[in-house]
Parts: sequence; C-alpha cells; structure tokens
Amino acid sequence: MTRFVLRRLLLFVPTLWVIATLTFFLLRLAPGGPFNAERDIPATARAALARQYGLDRPLAEQYLTFLAHAARLDFGPSYKFPARQVRTILLEGFRVSAELGGWALLVALLAGIPLGVIAALRQNTAADAAVMGVALAGVSIPNFVLGPLLVLAFSLGLYWLPPALWEGPSSRVLPVLTLAAAYVAYVARLTRAGMLEVLRQDFIRTARAKGLPERAVVLRHALRLGLLPVVSYLGPAAAAIIMGSLVVEQVFAVPGLGRYLVNGAFNRDYTLVMGVVLFYAAFLMAFNLIVDLAYAWLDPRVELD
Amino acid sequence: MLSCGMRRSPTWIALAFALVSSGCTLGGGAPGTPPRGPRYFGSLRPPRGDVLRFINGGEPETIDPALVSGQPDGRLARALFEGLTTPDPRTLEPRPGQAARWETSADGLSWTFHLRAGLAWSDGAPLTARDFVWSWLRVLRPATAARNAGLLAAIAGAEDFNRGVTSDPARVGLDAPDDTTLVVRLARPVPYLLHLTSCPTLLPVPRRAVERWGAAWTLPGHIVSNGAFALDRWRQNDRFELVPNPRYRDRARVRLARVVAYSVDDLNTAANLYKAGRVDWNTSGYVPASFVPWLRGDADFRSAPFQAVYFYSLNVTRRPLDDVRVRRALNLAVDREAIARDLLKGTRAPWGRLTPQGYPGYPPPPPLGHDPARARALLAEAGYPGGRGFPRISILFSTSEDHRRIAEAVQAMWTRTLGIPVELRNMEWGSTLQATTALDYDVARRSWIGDYLDPGTFLDIMRGGDGNNRTGWSDPRYDRLLAEAAAERDPARRLALLGAAESLLLADGPVVPIYHYSTVELLKPWVRGVWSNALDLHPLEDVWIDHSWRPGARLAAERGPGPVAGRVAPPPGRRAVRAPWLRMPAAAPAPAPAPVTAFAPGEDRP
Repeated sequence: MTRFVLRRLLLFVPTLWVIATLTFFLLRLAPGGPFNAERDIPATARAALARQYGLDRPLAEQYLTFLAHAARLDFGPSYKFPARQVRTILLEGFRVSAELGGWALLVALLAGIPLGVIAALRQNTAADAAVMGVALAGVSIPNFVLGPLLVLAFSLGLYWLPPALWEGPSSRVLPVLTLAAAYVAYVARLTRAGMLEVLRQDFIRTARAKGLPERAVVLRHALRLGLLPVVSYLGPAAAAIIMGSLVVEQVFAVPGLGRYLVNGAFNRDYTLVMGVVLFYAAFLMAFNLIVDLAYAWLDPRVELD
Repeated sequence: MLSCGMRRSPTWIALAFALVSSGCTLGGGAPGTPPRGPRYFGSLRPPRGDVLRFINGGEPETIDPALVSGQPDGRLARALFEGLTTPDPRTLEPRPGQAARWETSADGLSWTFHLRAGLAWSDGAPLTARDFVWSWLRVLRPATAARNAGLLAAIAGAEDFNRGVTSDPARVGLDAPDDTTLVVRLARPVPYLLHLTSCPTLLPVPRRAVERWGAAWTLPGHIVSNGAFALDRWRQNDRFELVPNPRYRDRARVRLARVVAYSVDDLNTAANLYKAGRVDWNTSGYVPASFVPWLRGDADFRSAPFQAVYFYSLNVTRRPLDDVRVRRALNLAVDREAIARDLLKGTRAPWGRLTPQGYPGYPPPPPLGHDPARARALLAEAGYPGGRGFPRISILFSTSEDHRRIAEAVQAMWTRTLGIPVELRNMEWGSTLQATTALDYDVARRSWIGDYLDPGTFLDIMRGGDGNNRTGWSDPRYDRLLAEAAAERDPARRLALLGAAESLLLADGPVVPIYHYSTVELLKPWVRGVWSNALDLHPLEDVWIDHSWRPGARLAAERGPGPVAGRVAPPPGRRAVRAPWLRMPAAAPAPAPAPVTAFAPGEDRP
C-alpha cells in the first residue's frame, strides 16, 4: 500500500515534466507574444519588457529557468496582470472553483445516487423510466443553455435569486445547480447500472436467504459494490467539475479558475498558462490516485501493488 | 460527456442568449415598477445607502495610471488619482484639480502650474510638484514600457528620453522649483495640454509605494492615492471596491460612501445583473447589441456618439492592393448604409472617414461613398475588367460574430460589384494582432479609439512607419502636412492642415472606413451626475444616489446630451428613429478652439 502510493507519487514527476515541456514549447509556437496589443509600444519599451521577463534570452535558457522555478512552485508574475503572482491567482481562483465544484459534486452525489438506486430497484417501471428520462435530459442540455434558462426563470422572471456574482449564499444556488445537472444525471445512470449488476449476484441472494431485511441488503451489501462505477467516475469527474466549470463561471461571473484556462492562452500569458496547466495536471493525477485507493477500500478483491 | 460544457458552439450560445434576451423584455412585474409612467428595464428597487454598483467591464490588467490602456482600468485610475486638471463631467472642459491655477508663456512653450496648498496622499504624506515630475519621468522611462508615453512626447527632451537616446532626466523639460510649482517646457505648442493633464498617463503616483512594492504597488494595502477615492478591495475577475479618500482635497464633494465596480465581461451577464437590480449602471460596451431594439424606448436607456471608428485596413505592400485604383475601387464598392441599416440595425452610423465626427472647427473632407459604377471603372482601369485576373484576397478578422457578419457582407459586396474572389480569414485576437503587425494579411478589420477629442489622435496612426499604421502605407506629403500642423500655432490653420491630410489619406485609400461607434448604456434613474459625453467619461466624484427618487418621477436633467456634444439624444419614451443623434449639427458649433481631451481606450476589445 505505502509502496504503491510512493511509486505513484514518484511517477508524478516525469509526467509533470513532459506536460510542462510540451506546454512550454507549444505556447512559444503560437504566433505573437504577451506584449502585443492594438496600440503599439516603442521598440525600446518592448525590449525593456522582454528583458524584465527574461524573454530576450535563448529559448533553451528560458526553458531551464522556467523548470528551475517551477520545481519550487514559483511561476513568477502573470504577464497580463503584472501586480499578481501566478501562484496567488491560482490559489484565489481555486478556492472559488473548489467551492463551486464541491457543492456541485455534493448535489450530484446526493441526488444522483438515490435516484439511481430507486431506478435499479424499480427496473422497467414508470419510476425507472422517469428517472432515466430526467437523466437523459440532464446529460443532453448543455450548461450554457441550462444556466441562462435558470437565470431567466429565477432571476429575471421571479426576481428570487441573483443572476450572477459570487456574494452570499443565494448567489451559489444557480451556478451550483447548473454545474451539477449533468453530473446528477450521469451519477444516476452509473448507480443504476452498477446496482442492477450487483443485485443479481449470489451473495445478494445469500443475504436475502439469511433473512436480512431488504433495506440492509440494498444499503449495506449491494450499494457498496454497486457504487464502484460511480467511484471510478468520481476521479475525473471531480477534476472536471472543479477545474472545468469554465462556462458556468462565465455565465454567472464567478471569479474561479476556469476562465484562466482559455483567456491565458488567448493573451499569450506564458506564466499563467504554465501555472494553470501544471496545476490541473497535478490535480487530475492526485484525484486518480485517491480513486485507486478508494477502490481498494470498497472492493476487497482489488489489491494495490 | 465530461466536456459537454466545454464545446461552445456559437449557434447554441446565441440561441440560449436569445431566449434570455426575449425573456428580458417579457418579464413584467419587476419590483418597484409603477403601473404607469416611463418604462424602465427591470428592477426599480434602489440600493440602501450611498452605494454605486456598476459593470466595469473585463478584469483590468493593471490600475497603474502609467500603464492603463483601456476603459475599465482608466475609470479606476481616474477615481483613485487626480491630475493637475480634471474634466468637467458635462462639457469635458478642464477644471482645476491638484493645480489651483496655471499660466503660460507668450509662445505657448512654457507652462507653470501652481499646486493647491496642503495637498496630501491618502497615507498623509505631503504631495508636492516633485511627485508630478517623478511620475511623468517614470512614464517616459523605457523600462516602464508605458504604451501611452506618446501623450508626453511634446515635452522638451521627452522623446529622446523615452527612446533611450539620453538617460539624463535633467534633459527633460520638467522642473519643480518649489513644493507647489511645476514648470513644463514644451518642444512644440500643444493646444490641448490642459486636457492631457487629466489623462491617466499624467496622473501622479506615490513614489514610496512604487519603489517599495514594485509592480505589486497597486494592490490593496500597498496602494496610496490622491484622488477622490481609495482602494478598499480588489478581487480578481470579480470586483473593485472604493471608499472615499479622507484626505482628498475636496472631500465634501464626494457623496458616494462606496463604489463597487464589477469586473464582468460577459455582455448578457452584465445586462442580467442590471435587470435584476444588482447593479445600477450597465456601462457602455456591455449592453448586448441584440437587446438594443427592445431597450430603445426605455427611460433608462442612453446612447450617444463615441469617438471611435471601425474600418478595414488594406495591406498596400501586396499586389494588387499596391495600386491606388484598386484601393479606391474597393472603397467605393462598400455599401456602408446597408451595413449600418441591415446588419447593425441602426445602432451605429455608416461612416466614410477615418476621423469621427464632432471636432469643433475641423473641416472634414467629403466622406467616401458608395459608387459601384465608378468602382468597376477604376478596377478595369487598373487592368482587371470585371474582376478578371484579380488574385484572391482575404479579409482577416478576430473571432466575433459581429466581425464575421460584416466581413461576409463586405465579401458579398466586393464579389458582386467587382467580380473579384474574396475569402474570409478568422483568427483569435492575439494572432490577428500579430498578423496585422507583421503585414501578413490582405485586408484586416481594425478600429481606433481616440485619446483626446482632436482629429490628430486618429490621423497620427497613419503616419509613415508609425507602429499603429499596419498597412505599409506611407506618403511624404501626408507626413509633411501632419508635421506642419504640429508646429502650427493658429488653431484654425492647424485644423485646416489636418483636414488636407485626411483628404489625401482618403483619396489614397489604405483604409476602408465602415462605421462610427456610439455609446450604449443603461442607468438606473436614481443615479445622478452621470452625463452623456463623446468620450464616455464620468468622474465618479460627481456621481450621487438620489434617494428622493420615486417610481414615476420625472427624468433627471442630465439625461440630455452634454453641450459639447451638441447632439440630440433620442427622446425618452419614444421609439427612436434610426440613429438621429449621429447627424452632424446643422449650425456651426460655438467657437471652442481647444479640442476636448480625455483618455479613452486606445485599444479595442477583440
């Protein structure tokens, strides 16, 4: 177990290095640079900026300097927002994105799992069809459609909830629901599929034969294994839901991390893009590791090695 | 599945937003709406307290006055800092700011500013004339890399200092003989100097904070300011919160207790916040164009001309655009009226010149018109009768639905009128900039927003070799006319020279003007002291919240146009005819020799 974790952690380093290197050079291949703007600046000023950020040195040297700093988690100041360190931008944005994503994930699990269990227990009934129908709708409606529709109804029509911004509990409701919708649906479907498979297995029949109440059979024995597909989905889902709330953050003006992913690249903000990409990669790998550990805990047949 | 949210298809977004926009106009029963009286857009519940909440636009890159280059950052810099002069919110005429009075020498080359007594920074340190000298030299230092350093170029020795020819600050014509006297020596007369002194670039910055914190001096806790407000909070991509600066020289005039400037760059989100009553002011540039036809009749909708022009530039270093007859043919084949009427629904005025309207005393050359027959004749003369043999040219534009629609229209006009093959080339913003700078294009979409109300701020960009020229076009006669105008002391003769230069520019056709920008904003009726003006400039120290406002009350007086603009705003409550405010004033404007100046964004948004 410890060996497994250590080995995985050690594998992080070369993986992150490959990602960092690819991103570094791909970014430099994009036309233009961080100091281009509609209004031109004199050549001397451009040279001064380049010197200040070390862009006048050979690319190989820039790359090595970057690696040396990145190893100490220091990405330097953002090119576009010179008053801020990339590290500060990442941490501030992540706090918001993590809160938004955390709530959305909680909603997804709290709503999705019971719905999936109900659908599995009542397979091929109207309840099953209704749950799966809603799930299909949830998966199919993109959040840039769902978000504005919720705003239209609850903010602009009824004046109940703020249409955007991140201030106070009421402002959390619409973005969290918008972000959670697709995941509720997905979790419900996965739970249903997992439960259906488990409920047919011998040990469930044994449990029932022993005379256990149905409630205990489902909750204590079936659910634990039936959730395995959800758990394996949870790793990438958590990473995506926390880092990938780009559209929701845009529609609801939430000051999260998502928009830096795209805008940083558009602005050729080299340091910010490097920071975001590496942060995202590390986050994804960490979550996958957690999922593997959770797997071993849920399913005694799985051995970590 | 996981990426469903990431696949943004413009059509779907447009559809979703169309749903929202139509809903916006349907949603009756907004809180506070009276049964009768003027119609407003959304909630009419005023804020508690003297708080102004507004959409400030995209997250500012910086609020360092020396470096700001856009409207959101400029607005904050002006609220936090005060220059020698400040603009009048109605007329934009300079008023005494940190300077109480000033005098100028007979030749106009030497200016002496006398600062008010007892000026202080927000941390209590005294503010002296040396602060101005240090701040202006900082703008000029190459290491600062200030994009707008050119605004100081008329100061003696400033250009050499800025270009690194000399690094001796004593060679720059700035002097502070004592704490309250600032002497500025100019290399050439600048009729609009008192307007420049209120631009963000010329605002004083706190030397101690800048030297102590470096680029991070603008963060809350570090920043020290001298303007009407002090920075209380700055959360990236979210908001700036300002509170009155207790040491401001005229503290009693500041009536707002708090200003919240939201960094929201999504137009639909901005309009939603306004309708729901979460902000009091949806500033210009952040009202979705598709809403405008519905909003026109609302009493809180305002629109006025804005000094910016949308144009195509032609790369004259490439064949066949190196032929003036081809350039003229392309210009004459564009039906600007149709674009403004059918595509832009009358929200913008068709425009046939590089300089915008409304410069008092400026003799504008006749605008480029639409003449298909003449265009065909010119093309035939150039050796391409009916477009035969004409090489394929492309129109480059940055990603935007509006740019695409206009490019498609122009493509169709050129193909149908001239029979030439035209293709569209779309790039994201950064690549577009790079391509235009490197002259790697045939035809490119551009726009220009003036720094101060003077034709020079537009004509200068087409000077041969100017970094903003980006067409490869240069004409010694044009450059000479601009140089003569810069040296000319008589305002009328100076403007005549500039008019001659523009006439030459339009005849040679390196640019294809398309439309004239206008401001479009939404302002709740209880916000007072925000006046319409051509520079979209609204000093926050003059803004206040009218708590006596009640639904159904008459409109605030300032909803009319500012006298300088001399234009008629659409009458409230009545559906406006197509852009009536963009007609030129019939009568000659009153003599106002000094052009009104202000800092407007030199950059436009992608």
